[in-house]
Amino acid sequence: MTARHSSKARRWAIGTALYLGAVALGLGSAVWVVKKAPWLNTTVQVGSWKGNMLAGNPDADLYTRAAIAVNALLALNREETMYFVAAQDEAGKPLRSSCTYRVEGVPPQARWWSITAYADDLFLFDAPNGQYSLNGTTAKLDTKGQFSFTTGPKDPGDTFWLPTPGQRGMVLTLRLYNPTPALQASPASMVAPSIKPLGDCA
Amino acid sequence: MKAATTTQRLWFYRLLTLSVTALLVHLLAIWAAPHAIMWVLMQGPQARALNMQNQAAFPPAVTANSRNVVMPSPDMLYSVCTYDVSEGPVRVTANPALPSYWSIALYASNSDNFYVLNDRKARGKPVDLWLVSEGANRTDHAVPSGSQVVVTPTRKGFLLMRVLTGNYEAEKATLEPARRTLACTKI
Repeated sequence: MTARHSSKARRWAIGTALYLGAVALGLGSAVWVVKKAPWLNTTVQVGSWKGNMLAGNPDADLYTRAAIAVNALLALNREETMYFVAAQDEAGKPLRSSCTYRVEGVPPQARWWSITAYADDLFLFDAPNGQYSLNGTTAKLDTKGQFSFTTGPKDPGDTFWLPTPGQRGMVLTLRLYNPTPALQASPASMVAPSIKPLGDCA
Repeated sequence: MKAATTTQRLWFYRLLTLSVTALLVHLLAIWAAPHAIMWVLMQGPQARALNMQNQAAFPPAVTANSRNVVMPSPDMLYSVCTYDVSEGPVRVTANPALPSYWSIALYASNSDNFYVLNDRKARGKPVDLWLVSEGANRTDHAVPSGSQVVVTPTRKGFLLMRVLTGNYEAEKATLEPARRTLACTKI
C-alpha cells in the first residue's frame, strides 16, 4: 500500500469514527435529558415534591413531551390530574428502598388523591401485603386531620405500611385527581406531605 | 495573521460536522421518542395480545407484575382501545354508571392527551363519542343523534379508560361489568 493510500484510509477511519461518535453523542445526550428531565425540567417544587404542570398538555414543548412519554406515559392534563414526584427526603437525600421513611401530611385540595411507591425503574415494588399506595379512600386521619404512613423494607406496625423491598432507588408519586381550581391556578400553594427518614437503613 | 493549514481546516470541518450531526441526532431522538413509545404501546406484542385495534380490551387489575407502561396506578382499573380513523369514524360508547371517579382519555400518536371526559363532566349520561380525523369528510357518515364529534389530531391514537378502585377484590363485582360497557367500534 502506498503512503498516499494509507493517508486516505486514515482520514476515512478518523472521519467515520468521528461520525459514529457524533451519533452516539446525540443519542446519549437525548437519553440523558429525557431521563433527567423530570427533575431538571420542573415547573413546580413544593418541599420534596416536583411536578411539571405541562404534563399531558398538547402545548407541551418537545422536551417535556419526550420526558413525559419516557417517565410518565399517558399522563393526564392538569385540570384532570396533577402529578408530583419525590425522589429525595426532606433533607435532600435520595430515597432508597432499604431505608424507612415516615410520610405525613394533610389531604391535598383535590377530589381524590393517592401516594404510590415506585422502584427506580418506575414500576411497583413486589409488595408482600399487596399494598402499593395510600389514597383518599384508605387513609385514616388523626385528630389533627393528618394522614401518615411508612415506607420501608419492614412493617413498623404502628402505621399503614408500603413495602419497598430490595436495595435500590425509589420515588413516591402523588396524584391529585380533579384538583381544586385554586390549586390548579397555584400548584405551589399545595401543602406538601413531609418525608422523614426513620433510623438506619437496612 | 497566519493562514490556517490544511490540517487545521480539515479538523475545523470535522468538528463542525460532528457538532451538527450530534445536534440533529439529539433533536431527532427527542422528537421520535414519544412516537416510538406510543407505537410500541399501540402496535407492540402486548397490544397484539390484547387484540385492541378498534375494539375495547380489559387488562387485569394493576399489580407489581404490570410492566407495560411506567408508573401504573394501583388505584385505577384500566380499559384500553387503539383507534384508527383512516378509513372512517370510530364510535366510542360506555356507560359505567359508577358513583366514584372514572374517566376516558384520548391520546394522539405523539402521546398528547387531547381529550378527557370524566364522570362529573358526563353528568350521569352514557358516553357516546364519534372520533373523526382532521379534514375528514363528515358527510360520508351521519353522526348518530346524541353522539359527540371528537376530532383526533392523528389518525391513529390510544384510548385509556380509568375507573377508580380503592379495593379491587371487594369491588370487582361492581367494577368489572361497569368498565365492560366500553366499546370502540369502527364504522
